[in-house]
Amino acid sequence: MDSKVSIESAVLPSDGFQPRSLLQKVTQWLADWLPALPILIVAYGLLVAPVVALLIQSFLSQEGGFTVANWAEVLASRSDRRAIVTSLGLGAVSATSSLAIGGPIAWFISRMLPVQRSVWLAILNMATNFSGIGLAFGFVAILGTFGMLTLAFKELGIPFAPPAPGSFWGLVLAYNYTNIPLFILLTISGMGILRHDWLEAAQTCGATQWRFWRSIGLPILTPFLGAGWLLVFTWSIGLYGIPFALAGNGATRKVTLITLQISDILQANISGQGNAAVLAIVLLAIAALSLLTYRWMIGRTAQWF
Amino acid sequence: MVLAERMRWIGRWGRWLLLATLLVYLFLPIVAVVLYAFSTKWTAHILPDAYTLKHWGSALSDVRLVDVALRTFVLAAGVTVLDVLLIVPAIYWQWTRNPKIRPHLELTAAIPFVLPYIVIAFGILSLSGQFIPTLQGTVWLLALGHVAIAFPFFYWAVDGAMAAANIPLLNEAAQTCGATPLKTLRQIVLPNVASGIATGSMLVFAVSFNEFALVQILVGARFETISLYSLDLLTGANADFNKLAIITCLTFVIVFFMSAASVYLNRGQTQTSRLVTGAKSTK
Amino acid sequence: MGSVSLRNVSKLYGTAVRALDDVSLDVMSGELVALLGSSGCGKTTLLRSVAGLERPTQGQILIDGRDVTAIPTRSRPIGMVFQSYALFPNMTVRQNIAFPLTTRQKAPRRLDQRVEELLDLVQLNEQGDRFPTQLSGGQQQRASLARALAASPEVLLLDEPLSALDALVRNQLREEIRRIQQTLKITTLFVTHDQSEAMAIADRVAVMSRGKIEQIASPLELYETPATRFSASFIGNRNALELPVQNGRVQLGRALDVAAPEADSTRAIVFFRPEDVEFSNNGIGHPATVESKIFQGSLTRLHLVIEADGHVGRFYADLPSRQAAEVDLGSHVRVYINATNARVFAADI
Repeated sequence: MDSKVSIESAVLPSDGFQPRSLLQKVTQWLADWLPALPILIVAYGLLVAPVVALLIQSFLSQEGGFTVANWAEVLASRSDRRAIVTSLGLGAVSATSSLAIGGPIAWFISRMLPVQRSVWLAILNMATNFSGIGLAFGFVAILGTFGMLTLAFKELGIPFAPPAPGSFWGLVLAYNYTNIPLFILLTISGMGILRHDWLEAAQTCGATQWRFWRSIGLPILTPFLGAGWLLVFTWSIGLYGIPFALAGNGATRKVTLITLQISDILQANISGQGNAAVLAIVLLAIAALSLLTYRWMIGRTAQWF
Repeated sequence: MVLAERMRWIGRWGRWLLLATLLVYLFLPIVAVVLYAFSTKWTAHILPDAYTLKHWGSALSDVRLVDVALRTFVLAAGVTVLDVLLIVPAIYWQWTRNPKIRPHLELTAAIPFVLPYIVIAFGILSLSGQFIPTLQGTVWLLALGHVAIAFPFFYWAVDGAMAAANIPLLNEAAQTCGATPLKTLRQIVLPNVASGIATGSMLVFAVSFNEFALVQILVGARFETISLYSLDLLTGANADFNKLAIITCLTFVIVFFMSAASVYLNRGQTQTSRLVTGAKSTK
Repeated sequence: MGSVSLRNVSKLYGTAVRALDDVSLDVMSGELVALLGSSGCGKTTLLRSVAGLERPTQGQILIDGRDVTAIPTRSRPIGMVFQSYALFPNMTVRQNIAFPLTTRQKAPRRLDQRVEELLDLVQLNEQGDRFPTQLSGGQQQRASLARALAASPEVLLLDEPLSALDALVRNQLREEIRRIQQTLKITTLFVTHDQSEAMAIADRVAVMSRGKIEQIASPLELYETPATRFSASFIGNRNALELPVQNGRVQLGRALDVAAPEADSTRAIVFFRPEDVEFSNNGIGHPATVESKIFQGSLTRLHLVIEADGHVGRFYADLPSRQAAEVDLGSHVRVYINATNARVFAADI
């Protein structure tokens, strides 16, 4: 980094003053770090430390000793296992459908003229602002018992009803409201990688459109699409507000998710805190694995560019 | 029509069909919410039975609603101010004096993107229970929590602005003119990264305003914000969709303007992953 | 091998922009024709029309006597080298070269053999398994050429293939392209804005301007006898003097006296080469002031000004540097312009 050289030469005295005594060392250290200390304390204290605490807590028994009983309980519990599987399934389904729909749309938008493009990007950005409980409400207003679509189906005489907001597919629809625009916005810059003259060159080599996509287009785009998939997946498994508002509480809940299980345990305030910690760490592990895969995928594109 | 021509025809119309479907999908929930804000009874047909403005009046005179809105607003404003005060000096120091600050900030800034907010909330609850039980359950802890999860957005916005303005160079020039660090910060750095600070502030505000998980887990009903209130209106015993629609509309308008303003200030920079705001705020 | 013909080809964008204006061109089998002109003259549009990447608004394009105007690019018997090389980044050099063969379903064993032949032809034997980003500019260009030739096309199209390279590599590659083209006897169209490049490798050069072919002729003919004012100004190092026509003659003091062009005009442009400027010791010619001297190695360029009869003429001459050293800046020398090889065109048409 160029600025590093200039910073040191501009800031440190040129006669190479070396702090000797402990007091001087401490003063020097403070001078270098003081303005950053408050935010670092907050960040480490509220982001890193809690995670470490959870990790420890997952191995803590009621009395305070080390145990793997919590982990065993969670893995044995049917409802917990179901929650994990459903969370993974929901994340995967949402990510895949976002890819299938968002991928081609991202391609189309990247080929549009600047004015049209900005309009679409503005619409997508706006969609990402509509989220949380308000969005959950929006979907209840559409898919609920008296929702717009439900009533529309009834009036048009269609024999079945759209998915209920608290069901698996209802959640997919709600998740995708944010996930499809998210996917598009994440991959649209990657789309620019595909140069128009590759398409033309392929044509001069006798390739059809289909052949071009199969041999050149998709292989090049796959790391970006895959990275988008992983990010959307990671995002989805961690969602809490929307499923909480839609999936209901207690007995009426149709879909169990990791985040909801955690919240259940916390709300009930019973002694299962260790289990909740385990679930939290499981969530963290999935997210971390996802992120590592994401970095690996992006790293692979370096070979070609 | 020849097969190839027919394929092309399908392709062209298919594209517009896909885009149109997406548009409908995106606008439908918003339309439904807006209609609820103006409707009387709406249980039988696709559109409401009748329209009225009275919900708006009753909403503004509802003490609880106004309290909730103000509370959320004040919390978000406070969190924003805190983030500005905490982060700007750190970034300034990182760019002009101690580059070793950067890895720490970038590492911690990545965490809210990987870690679901509920996990963070749970962790803070657990940790505070052990070490600072007096703060547990207070709005101060919540505020600090918000400061922590929103800080990446502020950091990236200001960091980008610092890079764009080439702060190291300006800093050197200021030194050759004899300026102290404080003077440089006030008169040289801040004016040049003002748009980044403004953008970052708006993002932080939106994150705090919309946030749900930390609020529910850390303070719950003791400090009822818009998201908690909305949940109660949606699924609680006194479900009131009309009022909920109004609050949702207001929230949407506020967050939308924040996002539009930040896009406007950032025109020319294309960091879409950093501009995607509202989604991240409501895990 | 194939010939290429364009018959009255026009390409319009909207109603105003005529990228190609009623162009007709016949390229013989095995010939290399260079399309020369500055940007916007239509040379690239013409090339892309032959490739099928642009659809002409009017006219026909024939390859080897067959009308290909309606045939899409991928079905035309062409190979094309792009200005930006356009090598597929996710494939090795071998895979890139093999690509045109796989689209036309060649048997795998013969395919490998063919790829080796081509690697040999462009001298990239060692680089076969590298990716495009691992190659230098010149190597990428050669790989691109090999890919274009892989399927033994009837016509080879090159779109300013050398403009992104530095001068040394450019000259080398220029020779190689010409050598390969002549060995394979493949009909070739070569687009360039560099006139020395065009002159060096082409059998014929087509000078283009504003969507039309101004003149098409062998390099020598073009250099010696440019037919239009545009060709004259574009080709070769020339001086140009714009002077009024009086009594059917164009004059500049006693330095220049030449017949006016046939067309009726009040002003004319006279093109003449620096070597036609003669320095005289006896009384002929006209005094000129030395405005500046530019040292260019063995020759020095003298910029001269003549003021006569209210007209000012600026032009340059090249002198061996040793002689030029004796001429002082600002001094007067007597010069005479030998008009035997000068070209005169009307100026106000």
